[in-house]
Amino acid sequence: MYLSVWIKRFSTFFVAGALATAAWSQDAGLYGKSDPAARAGGKLTIGSLTEPPALDPYHQAADARIRVTVLAYQGLFYESATGEAIPLLAESYTQSADGLSYTFNLRRGVKFHTGQTMTSADVKYSYDYMRDPKNGSPGAGDLSTIESISAPDDNTVVIKLSRRNGLLPITLTHRYGGVIPKDYFAAADARTKLNQVSVGTGPFKLKQFRQNSVLVFEKFQDYWQKGLPLLDEVTFAFMPNSATMVVAAGNGRIDMGIFTRPQDAEQLTKTAGIKLVRTPAMNQKSIDLGSEHPILKDERVRQAIALAIDKQEVMKASISGYGQVLGTMVAGMQDRWGLPLDQVPNQKVDLARSRKLLVDAGYPNGFEIDLTTIITYDWMDAAAVTISEQLKRVGIRVNIKKVELGVWVRNFQSKQMGFTFNDWPSSPDPSLLYYRHFRADPLGADFRNWKNTEASNLLDRGREESDYAVRKRIYNDFQKLLAQGVPTIMLFSADLLTVERERVRNHQQHPTGWYFGLVKTWLQN
Amino acid sequence: MILRFLLPRIFSAVVAALLSCLIVFMMMRSVPGDIVGQMLGQTSDPTAALALRGFFGLDQPLHTQFLDWLSHLLQGDLGTSWYQGKPVTQLIAEAFSVTFEVALLTLLIATMVGVPLGVLSGIYEGSRLDAAIQSFNLIGLSAPIFWVGLMLLVGTSALVGWSPPFAYSSLSENFKENLEIVLLPVLSLAFLQAGAYSHFVRECMVSELRRDYIRAAVAKGLKPSHIYFKHALRNILIPLVTFMGLILIQILGGTVVIESLFSLPGLGRLILSGIQGRDYPVVQGALLFVVVIAICINFLVDLMYVWIDPRMRP
Repeated sequence: MYLSVWIKRFSTFFVAGALATAAWSQDAGLYGKSDPAARAGGKLTIGSLTEPPALDPYHQAADARIRVTVLAYQGLFYESATGEAIPLLAESYTQSADGLSYTFNLRRGVKFHTGQTMTSADVKYSYDYMRDPKNGSPGAGDLSTIESISAPDDNTVVIKLSRRNGLLPITLTHRYGGVIPKDYFAAADARTKLNQVSVGTGPFKLKQFRQNSVLVFEKFQDYWQKGLPLLDEVTFAFMPNSATMVVAAGNGRIDMGIFTRPQDAEQLTKTAGIKLVRTPAMNQKSIDLGSEHPILKDERVRQAIALAIDKQEVMKASISGYGQVLGTMVAGMQDRWGLPLDQVPNQKVDLARSRKLLVDAGYPNGFEIDLTTIITYDWMDAAAVTISEQLKRVGIRVNIKKVELGVWVRNFQSKQMGFTFNDWPSSPDPSLLYYRHFRADPLGADFRNWKNTEASNLLDRGREESDYAVRKRIYNDFQKLLAQGVPTIMLFSADLLTVERERVRNHQQHPTGWYFGLVKTWLQN
Repeated sequence: MILRFLLPRIFSAVVAALLSCLIVFMMMRSVPGDIVGQMLGQTSDPTAALALRGFFGLDQPLHTQFLDWLSHLLQGDLGTSWYQGKPVTQLIAEAFSVTFEVALLTLLIATMVGVPLGVLSGIYEGSRLDAAIQSFNLIGLSAPIFWVGLMLLVGTSALVGWSPPFAYSSLSENFKENLEIVLLPVLSLAFLQAGAYSHFVRECMVSELRRDYIRAAVAKGLKPSHIYFKHALRNILIPLVTFMGLILIQILGGTVVIESLFSLPGLGRLILSGIQGRDYPVVQGALLFVVVIAICINFLVDLMYVWIDPRMRP
């Protein structure tokens, strides 16, 4: 009995130690790798071609907003560069055997920018607010499987689900919301006040937001990860055109910037003291083929279009090759979730097969069709001309139609997309990437009116499953359906092109394009 | 007498302002998409969309929305920005201070350069000096503003390794930085406007110098400077003042290109970002403000006519 007691104690110690080690090593991976040579201090200035319309993480879906608010707001989990959910404000969690209940153990001693200490009541409030559709949060859909949230004690949150949802942790990250103080939105001006004051737990807090000018974050002195962030201040300078940013970077007015046009970034590589960093991204540039269109409703026509498009050529024309051609998965997640390109149907150019499909579909002489591009999305202009020439080879005559973003969004939301380019923001999980877009009504939006039952069933299963190997098989099958049915043609992911001055050290660009890497970035004097 | 001068002008100003309210309101509502679509983007959720529409009052009938806005407007309240949460009047004041500074400096420099050039060109009509000045005018009239600005920006960076600061500071915040940031945009605009001024003044001078009274003055033996500045220039002041008013309105209402190029948070960019984001209160308020400014400038021009030409006094 004496021995069994010691064995039991040793086992407990071992498991606790393993968990603690796991927690430590996961903490070490939060916000990227640490640099042992790092020094604290300094102010970093970043040029930005995009400006967030507002800084409210609960009601603004814009990717430009997410990029910066990840510095001030945190969720229960952090999305790693490979798309895994790593505990952040949750220190650890357990899942019930039936998968319908998650118990989160919260980190202790986490402070809000307001000075309060975070408790489970704040977490419960934050996610209850977000999941209630009447509050108008774009994140409500991601949390629709949550049945209830309870806080049995100050450091524990229990989430019960109406049905299994294997990706719950990845939805409790940074895209929408974040943990804020309880009852924050009770005040009438709460939403817009977030443009003046941040109330999150993140490593930086908001100092100043001047529309059409600058956004300034300062170090949060009471941040729970000791020693972080390293920078005292980060300033985003909004520059609405790349020429201004090239000049500012060349003259040292800014320390770094993300460029969307490779030719702009390339100019700076000739400047002493500047380096260009390329990072595979989770964005994707694509063409959508709405089945509400009288011609595109025929799958054979969509396949014919896919077989006539040379993605490599399009990428070269649009972004000078600074990216990766896609099959059915974004570049940043290709290794973990993507099918190898040679296993994805309808990827190689086959003009003979394309013409035959058009004949079978009743278009022996081809047809005329409008292709929509969005004003200010430069890559679409070159892509449109290239694709127009490619489709001409099979008799499809393309009229390029430019629309303003607001018009495009309206068409998208009313599911009248037609034949259009699309520029997807980052989604760090295949379910987040695919579900709302391709799952049929009523559980998904199915913006392209694909209405594929088999695909919808796979997406439901992929959402419920938490085992990686099983999910991988499900999404492999889904990707084959996607490539076969062609509601969308994923063209390429554009690499994130970051220009940095040499004094900027250890900046690790996250493939989402969100500025997580600034937490461990430091400046060489 | 003063009432006879003021009343018709006030009445037409009010009518113009009210009509502008209606036109601006309808224009914004007719642009496809709204703030809800912008906020939700590709995450479109019908329930969330409904909730947001209710929050912004977009679920109300159009006439209710208009009357609500108008009633607040008549109390001096232009509403609150849906994105920023700040009063529209405050946003306009902040943005207009930037635009006004640029416009005023542009007008000053353009006048100081353009008017003398135009006078010289008119006096020495047909000479090489006239040809040189006309070439300058042609560039000013035809060069696109974004090209001029871009050339100045890239040129100064390449030649002297200098570029303006990216963050705007007002005169009171940082005098030196303020001048640095407005230098290139003002020079870009002033270069173009000086060309326009010079061309206009030249045409007026040439026409005026061919008039009979000038021939009579020459025959009487008056000094040339007396003829040019006391007589000819004085008589072209009225059309020149009209032209200045138009230029000022044009600069104030149309600086969005130069503001975008040089990252100035002025009125043009405020309106542009409001339109892109469908921030109705901001766009309605800012456009109405531009209309009111235009009305005020025209009114000032009328007053200047009266001052310049006593025959026009009521």
